[in-house]
Amino acid sequence: MPSTQKAQKRFSVLFGSSVHYVVLLAALLFALAPVYWMLTISFKTEGEQFATPPPWFNFTPTLEHYYDAFVTRSFGEYLLTSAIVAVTSTLLALVIGTLAAYALARFELPLKLNRRLSLWILSTRMFPAIVTAVPLFLMMRDVQLLNTRAALIIVYTAFNLPFVVWMMRGFFADLPRDLEEAALVDGDSRLGALVRIVLPLVAPGLAATAVFCLIVSWNEFLFALVLTQTDAAMTLPVGIAGRVTQYEIKWGVMSAAASVAIVPILVFALALQKYLVRGLSMGAVKG
Amino acid sequence: MGIEFRNVTKTFGGACVVDNLSLEVRDGEFIVLLGPSGCGKTTTLRMLAGLETATSGDILIGGQRVNDVPTQHRDLAMVFQSYALYPHMTIAENIGYPLRVRKLDKADRTARVKRVAAMLEIEPLLERKPRQLSGGERQRVALARAIVREPRAYLMDEPLSNLDARLRVQMRGELKRLQHQLGTTTIYVTHDQAEAMTLASRVAVMKKGRLQQFDTPLNIYNHPANRFVAEFVGSPSMNFIEKGDMTIGIRPEHIQVLTTPEDGAMEARVYVTELMGNETFVFVSVGDNRMIARAPADFRADVDTKVWLKLATEKIHWFDPSTGNRLQDLQD
Repeated sequence: MPSTQKAQKRFSVLFGSSVHYVVLLAALLFALAPVYWMLTISFKTEGEQFATPPPWFNFTPTLEHYYDAFVTRSFGEYLLTSAIVAVTSTLLALVIGTLAAYALARFELPLKLNRRLSLWILSTRMFPAIVTAVPLFLMMRDVQLLNTRAALIIVYTAFNLPFVVWMMRGFFADLPRDLEEAALVDGDSRLGALVRIVLPLVAPGLAATAVFCLIVSWNEFLFALVLTQTDAAMTLPVGIAGRVTQYEIKWGVMSAAASVAIVPILVFALALQKYLVRGLSMGAVKG
Repeated sequence: MGIEFRNVTKTFGGACVVDNLSLEVRDGEFIVLLGPSGCGKTTTLRMLAGLETATSGDILIGGQRVNDVPTQHRDLAMVFQSYALYPHMTIAENIGYPLRVRKLDKADRTARVKRVAAMLEIEPLLERKPRQLSGGERQRVALARAIVREPRAYLMDEPLSNLDARLRVQMRGELKRLQHQLGTTTIYVTHDQAEAMTLASRVAVMKKGRLQQFDTPLNIYNHPANRFVAEFVGSPSMNFIEKGDMTIGIRPEHIQVLTTPEDGAMEARVYVTELMGNETFVFVSVGDNRMIARAPADFRADVDTKVWLKLATEKIHWFDPSTGNRLQDLQD
C-alpha cells in the first residue's frame, strides 16, 4: 500500500514537471522563433531567403549582409548614435529622476505637493507619445537641434523621467528612514547619506530601472523618425526601417542590423540579471 | 556638554506632541526621559538630534542655540531602537562610518574601531554583516558606532527594548558602567521604569507631551509629584484609595498583610496570590478597590480568605483627586 502510494506520488510529480517543461518549451518556441528567423535570414543569400520550403538549417551561411550593412552602408554609425543616445539619456534620467524621487519620498513639501507633483509627473505619460511629436519637431527646429543626437537625448530623458521617478520613489519609500537618520547623526550630509547609504541599498531597483530605460531608448522609433533624417543622427531602428523602400525591401541588411541591435541590450540585461529579479520584486516582501 | 530645552513645543498638524518643555541637563549627567508611548519622549530626543524641528522654543547644546543647526553638525551620537545598522556594510565599516565621513585617515580609523570593538567585546564580528548577528550583538555594534568618536552627547532611543529580558538586564548594567567610564552627557528614552530607576542620574517623567517631574530616581519614587508619576514608577504599581476629598497612595511594600486582625488594620479579602520566588504579591479586595501588597515568600493565604492590611502611615502619599497633584505630606 505505501509503495503504490509512493509510486503514484512519483508519477504525479513526474507528470507535473513534464507538463511544466512542455509549457515552457512551447513558450520558448513562441518567443524565439522570430529571433531564429531573423538570425537565419541575416546569414542566407537572397536566393535562399525566398526558397520554398525554406531551408531551416542546411544553408550556406554568408556574411555579405553584415558587410553590406556595416561597411558599405552607415549602420555602424547608426549603432554608435543609438548607443550614445540610449546610454546618455538613461544616465541623465537616472540622475535627475533619482534625486527627484528622493525628494518626493523624503521631504514633506507644503500644499500636499508630494502627492500632487507625483501625479502630475505620472500624467505626462498618460497621452500617446505621438501627441507630442509635432510640437517637439517644431521646438527642436526652432532651437536648431533637428538631426542631432542632443535632440534625441533630451526627448528620451524627458520620456524616461516619469518612470524613473515613480519606480525610485517606491524603492525609497520602502527603505526605513532610520538608516538615513543614523547617517545624518553620524555626521554625513544628506547627499552623502543618499550616495553612501541609500543608493547601495536600492541598487537592485536602480539596476532594474536602468535596464528598462535603456530598452525604451534603444528601441524608440517614433521620435527618432520625426526628429532625425540624416545619417549623422539616425538611430538603428530608423535606419533598419529605412531599408524598406519603394522599390525593394532589403531583408538581409535589415536582419543583419537587427541581429546586431539585440546584442547590447541582451548583454546588459544578462550582466544585471541578478539585480533584475530582486529589483522588480523589491518591496513585495519585507526583508 | 550641558543641554537645555527652553519652552520647547512641537505640534504635528494641530496635535501638540511636546508641550512647552523646559529641561536643563548638566554636563556628564545620565538623563532618562520616561513615559508611556505617545508621551513625546522620542520626539523630544529627535528634536535634540535635529531630526525634527521644534515648532517653538529653544534647544541649546553647550550653551549654543542649535535649532537651526542641521543634524550632521550637532556632533551627537545616537543609538536607535532598530539599531539602524547599515545592512550593506561590514561591522567594522559600520562602526567606522562616523570617522569615515569626518575624513579620518584609514590607519587611525582602523585603530579606533579596534579599540571600541575590544571594549564591547565584538572583535570577532568585525568582518561580518549586520544580518549575520544576533539581536544582542547588533545592539553592541550600534553602541560601538556611537562611542567610536567623542560626541557632545549620546542620545539613546529605547536601545534595549528589542532584547530579551536577561540580555536587557545585562546590557543595562554595561551601559551604566560605560557611561560612568566615558562621562559623556547621555539622554536616554524609555518606557521601562526599571531602566529609568537603575540608569538615570535624573529622570524626566513625561505624559502627553508635558513634563510631570524632573528629579533623581529616589525622589521620583519617594516623592512623586502627582498621581501619574506615582503610578508609573514602581512595580508593582502604587495602590490608590479614594478617601473623602483626597486620594491616598501607598506602595505595595508599605502594606503588611496579616492573617489575624489587629488594631488599625483594614479588613480585606484575598483575590489571588502570586509567588515570585523571593516574595509574594498579594492581590486583595478592599470593598470595591483592588490593592496589591508585597509579602514574604513564605506567605500563604487561600483565595477569598480574610486578611488584614496594616499600612505604614508615614509612607502614605496624598493626592488631590481632581488635579492628581501631590498634597503636602501630612506629617510635614
